[in-house]
Amino acid sequence: MSSTAMHQTDPRALLLVAGGAAFCLSCLQSLVVSGTGLALAAIFACVCAPDWRSLLKRLLLANLFVLFIWLTVPWTMPGTDILIIGPVHFSREGLLLAMGVTLKCNAILLIFLTLTADMGLLQMGCALQKLHMPVKLVFLLLFTYRYIHVIAEEWKKLQTAAALRGFMMQTSFHTYKTIGNMLGLTVINSITRSHRIYEAMLLRGFSGDFYLTTELKARRRDIIFVSSCFFVLACLLCADLYVTCCHV
Amino acid sequence: MSDSPLLSLNNISFGYTGSPLLFDGLDFTLTEGEQTGIHAPNGSGKTTLLRLAMGLEKAQSGTVLFQGSPVDSAQALHHLRCTVGFVLQNSDEQLFSSTVLEDVAFGPLNLGLKPQEARDRALETLESIGMAALAERPIHQLSGGEKKLVSIATVLSMRPKALLLDEPTTFLDEKSRGRIIRLLQEMGIGRVIVSHDRDFLRQTTVSLVTIKDGRIAPCSL
Amino acid sequence: MHISEGVLSPTVLACGYALTAAGTYLGLRRTDYSRLVTTAVLASVFFVASLVHVPLGPGSVHLVLNGLLGLFLGWAAFPALLIALLLQAVFFRYGGLAVLGINTFDMAFPAVLCHYCFRSWLGKAGVVRIAGAFCCGAVSVAGAAVCTALALAFANEGFVTSARILLVAHLPIMLLEGCIVALMVSYIAKNKPELLHFTQ
Repeated sequence: MSSTAMHQTDPRALLLVAGGAAFCLSCLQSLVVSGTGLALAAIFACVCAPDWRSLLKRLLLANLFVLFIWLTVPWTMPGTDILIIGPVHFSREGLLLAMGVTLKCNAILLIFLTLTADMGLLQMGCALQKLHMPVKLVFLLLFTYRYIHVIAEEWKKLQTAAALRGFMMQTSFHTYKTIGNMLGLTVINSITRSHRIYEAMLLRGFSGDFYLTTELKARRRDIIFVSSCFFVLACLLCADLYVTCCHV
Repeated sequence: MSDSPLLSLNNISFGYTGSPLLFDGLDFTLTEGEQTGIHAPNGSGKTTLLRLAMGLEKAQSGTVLFQGSPVDSAQALHHLRCTVGFVLQNSDEQLFSSTVLEDVAFGPLNLGLKPQEARDRALETLESIGMAALAERPIHQLSGGEKKLVSIATVLSMRPKALLLDEPTTFLDEKSRGRIIRLLQEMGIGRVIVSHDRDFLRQTTVSLVTIKDGRIAPCSL
Repeated sequence: MHISEGVLSPTVLACGYALTAAGTYLGLRRTDYSRLVTTAVLASVFFVASLVHVPLGPGSVHLVLNGLLGLFLGWAAFPALLIALLLQAVFFRYGGLAVLGINTFDMAFPAVLCHYCFRSWLGKAGVVRIAGAFCCGAVSVAGAAVCTALALAFANEGFVTSARILLVAHLPIMLLEGCIVALMVSYIAKNKPELLHFTQ
């Protein structure tokens, strides 16, 4: 399945697989099975991801919390000492836990990044609506997305206006007051704007029912795609259960 | 084209809380097909007049009539808003959907059209103003001029009997302004346009009024 | 602050989703479309503001602002934060789908608590208002840090110390956020005081 085929796949299928993979892979306890999951995710990403470099860059950012785990868990989790450096004891259990987190986190993220790389927000909103998410939540998603760009632009203008008068961010009360004022202004403008947006909706006959016009049509290949992915995930879960039981 | 008033504001008195009266006994009428411009100084109440007409503000006294009936119920207000289109000054407040097509289809959906019918109507409207190529474009990727044209399309897709436009040329360059002038000239639809741009009003309306001492007064184009 | 994928146990993930679903249900039920538009726009503000780097000592931190969202939105902070965090996961790969529930709860629950504890202070003038705003900002961040730490600790005993370190690391952010929210509220009080008189 190439990246073009991914783009043509029903977004409901993509979201179901992304969600299913996230939950199933989170449940894995065995390092071997987690590693297998990561390998499969990597192969999936190789075949389907549109841009490898961007994918890796995003993966790096997302691993900041994993780094925090590596910096804190191996030498604080009680267990069998595997390495001692001065007063610091690294435990086997701690290292295994950090390794497990790393494998699972990256496996889940690779799948998520690959599946959602080409998905537009409108498609995501339509998919969520068809998956029986509350209409108000879909409304919230689409409107929030719409206005992020407006508010980001306004914020940039405020920052530029301040910079043009010599403002530089430092650890100082002046900086915090300036940021507080700019954010306060942004909140005031946003709430005022929101009332006018609602008026604009009323002016076009809105009376409480929100609709999307984009139709989604699931095809046989989408059903096959979802079924195959869930089959693979089920196999991973069964393998994990087997390996965990054998060790117990 | 009929002579019967489509929209009339009769003996309107209005002022914002804590401020002096903006309108004192104001009368304003729009008949079907009539094309009027309102040219007045800042703070005289041009936008407020449009907001009163569309039920976004409530006058302290006086009546607003739509097709001869008072606009005094939610149903009447809904009928008014489905028949008279209002293009806001700020396109970012008018355009709230993810894509151009979804935004232009929003009005027809509220009129009761089915999703596919609304899409078809939206595409047709975009084609009529030469913007069909932007149908799937996210709103935030549009230029200022494109946003203004799409704002007009969002209202045109409801097939209104009249248009109210609030400062349609604000922040637009000459090219975009020219496009809007041509679009309005091609449409025979009745309109009230509020603008500081006298030249724009000359090219897009037939008569001109101003607001003086809280009332409508004649003005020459 | 956001826990990434693969860290938490299925039990904690499921609890997170159940609690967030309950909070979101309550939030949406009490919110008509007029307020929903305000919720969406404030969620956008939260999203953009969370990208602002505020200098603190040798480095800089990102603001959280869940308390401010809670002040203005009450229970609607749940759906607002759910959507904002979903968008952060989609745009910045910060967080993820499986952890969305628990991450949302960690931020939204303290936000709603602060709404009920401090909103009445904001209607009063002077020191009371400033104190309320500071407490709202600080307590909401503290609450989020505590919830995140508890989620980690419940997921695996190996994360207990990580959870403690996370709590301590958030102390300066709490104080900074308290100051920023107090300054924001002070600005709003001067320029649009009616926004601080909450009817909900």
